Amino acid sequence: MTTALVQAAHKAPQAGVDLMRIVRINEEIKSVVNVAFKINIMALNAIFLAKRAGTAARGFGVLSNELRVFSQDLRDCMSSLSGLVHACVDDVSRMLQDIRHTRLLRQAVATSSKPEFAAVLAAREIENERHAQSFAGQRRQLKRSLEDAFRMVELGGVLAKSAKIEAAYGQSFAVPLSQVSSEFDGVVEEIRVSLESLRHSAFFATK
Amino acid sequence: MKTTRTIFQDGDHKWIAIVRDPDKPNHLIDTNEYLVTHGGQGMLLDPGGAEVFPAVFSALSSEFDPSALAAVFASHQDPDTCSSLALWLEFNPAMRCHVSWLWSGFIPHFGGNADTFVSIPDEGADLSLNGLTLRAVPAHYLHSSGNFHIYDKVARVLFSGDVGAALLPPGEDGLFVEHFDKHIRHAEGFHRRWMGSNEAKRRWCERVAQLEIDMLCPQHGAIYQGEDVQRFINWFDELQVGIVNG
Repeated sequence: MTTALVQAAHKAPQAGVDLMRIVRINEEIKSVVNVAFKINIMALNAIFLAKRAGTAARGFGVLSNELRVFSQDLRDCMSSLSGLVHACVDDVSRMLQDIRHTRLLRQAVATSSKPEFAAVLAAREIENERHAQSFAGQRRQLKRSLEDAFRMVELGGVLAKSAKIEAAYGQSFAVPLSQVSSEFDGVVEEIRVSLESLRHSAFFATK
Repeated sequence: MKTTRTIFQDGDHKWIAIVRDPDKPNHLIDTNEYLVTHGGQGMLLDPGGAEVFPAVFSALSSEFDPSALAAVFASHQDPDTCSSLALWLEFNPAMRCHVSWLWSGFIPHFGGNADTFVSIPDEGADLSLNGLTLRAVPAHYLHSSGNFHIYDKVARVLFSGDVGAALLPPGEDGLFVEHFDKHIRHAEGFHRRWMGSNEAKRRWCERVAQLEIDMLCPQHGAIYQGEDVQRFINWFDELQVGIVNG
């Protein structure tokens, strides 16, 4: 096989694997979005609970507000990640199409010695490279956005832990406030674990 | 690689059949492509599926410059007729694709852009190939609901898409029908199952019986010539189609 054919033979399964990986990332992001929605509802309940508890839970109320803002920010962030994932799916799909297209063109052109046919193939390969570069750019952007999301979730974890501390000052409401803050902490940890696994996805290990 | 056979020639007006690929994988249906040339330009009729593109391209380019293909004609929307469209466009992005208006929003999934497609109305149209008129003859529901054949009045050749098609066993795959009765057995099941309308079939038979045809060229199988053309039309007229067991 020529070098170009060897490269094409490697690219096809890699693009297929990338597509599977990006689909899994998308599924994980969808589950994080669902959890983020749950935090929003939990934060609303926590705000009402803090209001009932009055001055004793003022600090808890402030943190609940912050957690509600956090859940909204997280949803926005996940929405942006979903957009990037869809862009990656588009690019990988196009690359899969390019690979088949180029294989067939190469076979056709190989039977001819006309230089103008080789030029058509060369133009196709330049276009393929452009698509590959676009995909590499999307992949880098997705990785950066995931890192940002992870940092945001770590901040959410700090808020949840602070809420746990504030709950202890809630006097007669200490038990329900503590219960709510533990739920926050658990949910934020769940998101953190999800994002942590996404950060280490083999999808980002591919150059 | 496929082979080319010139089945009509008058100066630079030619019909070239691109047929039979011994290397074709068995899971792909065999197809015939036909190149019509006139005045240095070419129109490829049912250019074929993407997977057979290398074989068709190689054969065609041995006879004709692929970048001089002015147009392709897709008799209908099936992948074996034109899923190679995007690949042909690589060699001439200005190439046009003539197709039934019914499929002009579907075939772009195989490639091309808004400028590529020229819709053919249901009643048919005259397509021009550098001054040569090729008539798009309606063949709707045979088998596709938007279906055309191409008639060249000068060459007296009818490209008949799936009508006349036969699934030939190995060893009986000559370019022309030699023994009609023997050959037609390989066409019968195909026509009964694929052709959906007796009414449409009757109209087509009436329509083409009025044309002067020396060769009837299907997309699969062998070419009918001489008296076999009328023999085929009569046979088809009698056949009950749109039948499936089960």
